[in-house]
Amino acid sequence: MTDAPAEVAGRIVVDGRPIEFADGDSLAVAIVRRGEVPCHGGCLCLAGDCGNCLAEVDGVAYVRTCQVAARPGTVVVRHPAGGKPQLPVVDWRDLTLMPVGSKIAVRRTEADVAVIGGGSSGQSAAEAARSAGRDVLLLDARNGSEVVGIYPGPSIVTRDSGGMLHVRADEIVVATGSVEIQPACPGSDLGGIVTAGAAERLEAAGVDLGRVVHVGRELLRFEGDAGRVSAVVTVGMDATETTTPCETAVVDLGRAPRDVLARMSRAEGVSAVGPAAEDQPLPAPPRDGVVCPCMGTTVGDLEAAWDQGYTDLELLKRASWAGLGPCQGGACLPHVRSWIAARTSGPPPAPFTARPAARQITLAEAAADVAIDAFRRTPLHDEHLTLGARMDRFGGWWRPWHYGDAVAEYWAVREGVSVGDVSTLGKLVVSGPDVVEALERIYPCHVADIKPGRSRYALLLNERGHVMDDGMILRDGETRFTLTFTSGGAANAEMWLRDWIETWGLRVHVMDRTMSLAAINVTGPLVKTLLARLGLEDAPRFLGHIRAEIAGVPCHVMRLSFTGETAFELHHPLDGSVALWRALMDAGRDLGVRPHGLQALFGLRLEKGHVIVGMDTELDTTPRRLGMDWAVRMEKPAFIGRASLERTAKLDDSRRWVGFSMDGEAPTEGSPIRSVENGEIVGNVTGSWTSPLLRKALMLGWQRRAPFADRVEIDGREAVVTPTPFYDPEGHRARA
Amino acid sequence: MPALEPVEGWRVVATPSALDGARWNGDDVDVLRIAPDEALALGATGVEIDDPDAIVEPEAGFSVAMLDVDDWHGVVDHIDWPLPEEPSVLAQGKVAGVPARIVLGEPTLLVVQAAYANELRSRLGW
Repeated sequence: MTDAPAEVAGRIVVDGRPIEFADGDSLAVAIVRRGEVPCHGGCLCLAGDCGNCLAEVDGVAYVRTCQVAARPGTVVVRHPAGGKPQLPVVDWRDLTLMPVGSKIAVRRTEADVAVIGGGSSGQSAAEAARSAGRDVLLLDARNGSEVVGIYPGPSIVTRDSGGMLHVRADEIVVATGSVEIQPACPGSDLGGIVTAGAAERLEAAGVDLGRVVHVGRELLRFEGDAGRVSAVVTVGMDATETTTPCETAVVDLGRAPRDVLARMSRAEGVSAVGPAAEDQPLPAPPRDGVVCPCMGTTVGDLEAAWDQGYTDLELLKRASWAGLGPCQGGACLPHVRSWIAARTSGPPPAPFTARPAARQITLAEAAADVAIDAFRRTPLHDEHLTLGARMDRFGGWWRPWHYGDAVAEYWAVREGVSVGDVSTLGKLVVSGPDVVEALERIYPCHVADIKPGRSRYALLLNERGHVMDDGMILRDGETRFTLTFTSGGAANAEMWLRDWIETWGLRVHVMDRTMSLAAINVTGPLVKTLLARLGLEDAPRFLGHIRAEIAGVPCHVMRLSFTGETAFELHHPLDGSVALWRALMDAGRDLGVRPHGLQALFGLRLEKGHVIVGMDTELDTTPRRLGMDWAVRMEKPAFIGRASLERTAKLDDSRRWVGFSMDGEAPTEGSPIRSVENGEIVGNVTGSWTSPLLRKALMLGWQRRAPFADRVEIDGREAVVTPTPFYDPEGHRARA
Repeated sequence: MPALEPVEGWRVVATPSALDGARWNGDDVDVLRIAPDEALALGATGVEIDDPDAIVEPEAGFSVAMLDVDDWHGVVDHIDWPLPEEPSVLAQGKVAGVPARIVLGEPTLLVVQAAYANELRSRLGW
């Protein structure tokens, strides 16, 4: 059986040992020529249909070695016996060590008709379509086009030598022919078993198969020695068993449709023709042994699942795992259908659905040209980099986390003046005769009494009264408002407003200005001095807003405060942003102006107890749980969420979001909050900051166990529930 | 490499009928009707419109690339949605995963919000 090729074309390396191959050998044929098996046994088809020749090839796992030509130096590593190949391990602490992914090209094309399979039925289908004047694309695995899957559209994903090819077609014809049926009986996982077609290929390649036994539907089982077949046991019409010794068993159990691709899509426009669409006689129902070689599912597994009630083929597949492996039922489906038919004494069930991929592809191939979410840049991005910012991604934007010293940035806000890039805030303009009515219905606070030039903080609730977002309502005129939202919630808020306005049929125009306007938050006790130098003589009072030119840049100046200090947000056109930022930095140099990043901002807001929706909140957070009932005016007759809030107002609630403080350094955000009595987890920290001013650890977080304790344990230390704001509770500094 | 440069114009949200009759000021104005009630007029210097509640704002939040045929061939491989067959029709969708607008023609206009411009340049290898 061990057989060196008559003419050696080169050597491949299998599990670290060189193996010679002949010209024209696939990897699998070269390995079989050596008297070995490419995987760990099972019947080989050498046609790409089964999963019994899968191995790692040149570092890529799950490669069908029968479909890969042997080349000198190709490295083949068998998958672990009874296990799966290891995924590459990446040290999460240093993702820069992650291997650089392959760059896989993706081409896209369109066709009236895409025909998969270049055999006689495929050629006929293609010719018929061409004769009808239709544009035809023929995809044939023998020419290197491996179809990975059919997707809605319909569309086809194919792998070829050029990378990945995505095909959009009006019509897809699956003409993939038929497959040889694999054996499913005791011993069918031994090495040395091949289909009749595989035997022909091996003989044509000059491979010595030793003593060969051909067997058909009379097959009962295989017997083996040291993992290889040593005999075939057949059963005659009179039930007598015959054992025939062999070195290779050649199995001919008939054929089944090669319909994996057709089973991936039942959509209009996808059809199968030729043998791929023809019903074939099923094999005898398996009585013992492995049915699904990919997943190792045995007849016993099918029986166990059936006895639990999984008697529908699709459910039996999921419960037994038969058909979930790399060949997607190519090997086991005829047997499972036959087994069910015998069990029910009825007709065999229709074949189960197949899922991509019909050919195993690498993660790089799957991800080729798939773009992750694009993160946006503010017009000040380069300014931040110049100032040494460490940038990070928040709410779909690149934002400065700090500029090297978050504590210094904090002090600049508390004692001097500082600038922060808040261009990322959501910004909508709404206008129209029904705008007040729309906003009264949308927001839980009063809107009609906001005077032009004034503003109000507002929560945005859903129908369940859960907090979706927050921001400011600024009245520009009788029928026009500017609305702001969180950076991460802006897109959802816009959709929410548009949807409700359209549902109600109100006459309100909506314009999203989020990416059209930049915004700089200028904050600190010296802010008015700085802004006066740049032209803002009459600053608006707290919660007021005006239009003014600052350093020659037209700005919508909003007086509000997230930091707890006097603050102005300067909303302005993108093209004036760099000039405005530089003017603020230049004019404030003697005032000690410096930029602040998100790290300092989060600490500043934490000292004020301000919520960050999405960071502190959960999907079912209500205003009451946040301690923000003051932002909801239940005396309003109607607003989104009102009915839910009214129904739940008198119920006990076992959750609240509160402040905590303790000595020492702040714990990690997300830390569990434990009971001091028994150590049970009773909540979690959502925000944490070591206050440079108050010289203690301040935290915001959830208590989830009523009655609420006044003392808890965080990070192994005792913390006390502390009223918020921790800093300037009267708000004098923000209003100064 | 094609230049993806900031562009100025006007943006208007108004009733569809008012937008249909809008009178755009400027010599070389490309009006993109990005929604039935919204238009982006690249190169416009002003607009007159018959809707007292229209939201009319100067716009500097977009970047535009003018693509010749070769440039366009380099872009189209990054589009996996059907493009209109007629020229001058506005198409909106993702290019290399970045939200963008396209007007096929000679040249073809590729319009993207400025916040995404750098990301798009990077993904297209510009």
